[in-house]
Amino acid sequence: MTAVTEQAAVAVADKGMTKREWIAGLVQRRGSVVVLALVILVSSFSFDTFATLDNARNVAMQSSFLAIVALGMTFVIISGGIDLSVGSVYALGGVLAAIGIQWGSVAGLLLPLVVCGGIGLLNGALVAYGRLAPFIVTLATLLGARGLLLAITDEGANTRLMPRDAVLTQIGQGTLLGFGYPVWIAVVLFAVGVVVLQRTRVGHSVLAIGGSAEAARLMGLPVARRTMWLYTASGLLAGLSGALAAAYSASGVTIVGVGFELDAIAAVVIGGTLLTGGAGTVGGTLAGVLLLMVIQNVINQIGTLSSHYQSVVSGAFLAAVVAIQAYLSRAHLGRERST
Amino acid sequence: MAATQSRPVHLGLRRVLGASLCGVALVLSGCAKSEEPAAQAPQGTGGAQAPVAPAANGPTCTLSQYGGAQLDLKNAIVGFSQSEKEANPFRIAETQSIKDEAAKAGVKQLLTTNANSQLSKQISDIQDMINKGAQALIVAPLNSDGLEPALSAARAKNIPVLTVDRKVNSAACKDYVSFLGSNFVEQGKRAAREMAKALGNKGKVAILLGASGNNVTTDRTAGFVDELKASAPDIQVVAQQTGEFARDKGQQVMEQIIQAQQDINGVYAENDEMGLGALVALRSAGKKPGTDIHVVSIDGTRNAVQKVVDGEMSAVVESNPRFGPLAFQTLRSFLSGQPVQQNVVISDKLYGKDNAAAELGNAY
Repeated sequence: MTAVTEQAAVAVADKGMTKREWIAGLVQRRGSVVVLALVILVSSFSFDTFATLDNARNVAMQSSFLAIVALGMTFVIISGGIDLSVGSVYALGGVLAAIGIQWGSVAGLLLPLVVCGGIGLLNGALVAYGRLAPFIVTLATLLGARGLLLAITDEGANTRLMPRDAVLTQIGQGTLLGFGYPVWIAVVLFAVGVVVLQRTRVGHSVLAIGGSAEAARLMGLPVARRTMWLYTASGLLAGLSGALAAAYSASGVTIVGVGFELDAIAAVVIGGTLLTGGAGTVGGTLAGVLLLMVIQNVINQIGTLSSHYQSVVSGAFLAAVVAIQAYLSRAHLGRERST
Repeated sequence: MAATQSRPVHLGLRRVLGASLCGVALVLSGCAKSEEPAAQAPQGTGGAQAPVAPAANGPTCTLSQYGGAQLDLKNAIVGFSQSEKEANPFRIAETQSIKDEAAKAGVKQLLTTNANSQLSKQISDIQDMINKGAQALIVAPLNSDGLEPALSAARAKNIPVLTVDRKVNSAACKDYVSFLGSNFVEQGKRAAREMAKALGNKGKVAILLGASGNNVTTDRTAGFVDELKASAPDIQVVAQQTGEFARDKGQQVMEQIIQAQQDINGVYAENDEMGLGALVALRSAGKKPGTDIHVVSIDGTRNAVQKVVDGEMSAVVESNPRFGPLAFQTLRSFLSGQPVQQNVVISDKLYGKDNAAAELGNAY
């Protein structure tokens, strides 16, 4: 036995896991990365226009908006909650950016952040202090935000355009080292997300709340306050993503974001985060987002395949991941019963 | 920061519910904002499109104005970006027409994508096709705004873009080459004239609106309402509610309207699917469509035209989806250096009592 596997074996023994469970856990945490790497590898050999810098730029740019939304969703789901409002909030953020920009780029960014953060705060307050089910609370704000959006745009009859030379528009459309600014913003946010979840007290308390909110409360963690800020962060990120997407397309389009919350949830779950909360990784979510987008890209690479297959393939991945998660939690329960 | 269109606000909660909830229902499959699956009618063979004004009387565009090199379509890779799922007769016929004509033109390869009603997907679809080597693009835009990143990617490589069925709010011959499509306002006006004829210029009508925030809905409503005001002021619009371009929604909304407004004698459905749904609702409410209540709709699908033949619908205004021949003809002229029209408005048929039976084969 090499030193590395010995160490691993010790770690396994310490936590009282069987080796099989340890491997299963690894599959759950890192599975999406492995599958992503495989898909990229196979596609690179199959399509000569896949592994090109242009294509990488496109996929990165397409992924950045969903990634930013999915980051907030990751924390909410790890805490045992769900945020269905992000799709509507994302669309609202874009429209507000296009409205705010008439008073300058700062206003164009602040208006969506304030309003969308406010919606997130409302979600959080109702979930944390009102003790209402996150599913219902955020479903209500999903409807409310979409309604507000339609009201301020004459039901989408007024599409506001963003001036091309404004700083905010440039942030959406400009590039750094070949990649668009939204890509870099997503990268930075994910780096922060990884550190927060793994290295800070906030991150640990989120995991604890998701594991068992009651236990976390008994441990003296500020469960309600943390929960409220998680939803606020999710709203803020959705608003930011919407503002960036509006800047990218230079217009506040009203029809975007329908079903976007489900893409975000899918990415988070494919990334290995448990829908029941208590476990998950930020990096996994990024792999989940990229996997969804690469599947779409590959179907376009084939060129003649109906795009319905994208839903089929994405759905298959989701089903596989959820099945593995169910298997893992059963293995876990079985062990607890036997001891 | 221009407001591109405007229309009076009439916000209903069910509209909000409908637009948002459909996302919850369809995990990962996207959400068809407009027309829903219909009983599929066999394809019509005839009914090729013709431009309303074939001669040069509008602004034109040439290859030298737009930029790029001459190209023979036979050696070209052509990309087609469809906006909505091929789950309703219009989209099915449109995509099929492009595919058929691409085969007829003998292009090297036709790439096809479908945005599934997601704007961000349409942007990436177009970028992916450009990356894949598309040398000419035919785009059915999901929305009039917001496709700028895709158009500028095509612009950067001098790839000509034709938009079909919906127009984009960008500069023709600069951001794209030209637009081929129907005049939706005119369709609304024709529907209004048919309604006025059926009602004898007097009565109360309900409007089943299309999906919110869609310029097809806006234009078909504006054309209808304006024409009624101008030529049949004694016809009142007493209700308007969205049926989201879907048959089941059209039926539900009609059921509610007929409960609240028992004395209406006309229904204007902004597409055939909603019109067909409305017929079911009206019959179950004890009305006799075609006798005591008159339904006029837009599209020209096989099922709706059959209802005109049966006497249940009063008239159907066509919105011709067969863009293939005209689109490829335009591309061929353009890529060989000849000037093409920036706006090609196509002529749409009208199916009424007198011609529906004879023209049924042209419906799609």
